[in-house]
Amino acid sequence: MKLGKVIGNLTLSHADSGFRGGRFIVVAPQGAKELTGQNPGDHSDAWTLVTYDNLGAGVGDDILYVEGAEAMQPFDHRIPLDAISVALVDSFKYQPPVASHS
Amino acid sequence: MLLARVDGYAVSSIAHPSLKAQKIVLCTPIDEHGVDAGSPIAALDPIGAGQHARVYITTDGSWTQNTVHDETSPIRNQVIGLVDAPLSS
Repeated sequence: MKLGKVIGNLTLSHADSGFRGGRFIVVAPQGAKELTGQNPGDHSDAWTLVTYDNLGAGVGDDILYVEGAEAMQPFDHRIPLDAISVALVDSFKYQPPVASHS
Repeated sequence: MLLARVDGYAVSSIAHPSLKAQKIVLCTPIDEHGVDAGSPIAALDPIGAGQHARVYITTDGSWTQNTVHDETSPIRNQVIGLVDAPLSS
């Protein structure tokens, strides 16, 4: 589970029928710099990814997403999915110790 | 499984049902010397780790499904222990 910021939507004209009920969002993973405000702006250095979303995340929202085989666990059928949003974040705090080695 | 330091938390009201009433901590992975070793990750914290506590985290989804009593939970990361001794000498 990682924190990410929604920076866009992905629209497909044809998709596996198993994906019905959700949509795809483009997510910028948030690293330590983004979480501590040292990198203002939505984009991070990390590789942008696309996740499945059925919570209603919009551009600018902070979300928690899960990568890996567990992403398809909420479905009762097998689908080719390896990233899913699991929470819309209302608020968060991220404060490493001042003397942190980074 | 990895070592990490708890550096904060996240609060969510719209989430997968298995996250309801669960505490979510934001952690920075650390190495055996306590030095930061990767990008922050989020994890369930059923044992109540405090700020800057060093913790042991499992990334085993099937174990976490067991913890939240929900086989449809996609959640993987979970705090399973507090580290209270020096990591290495």
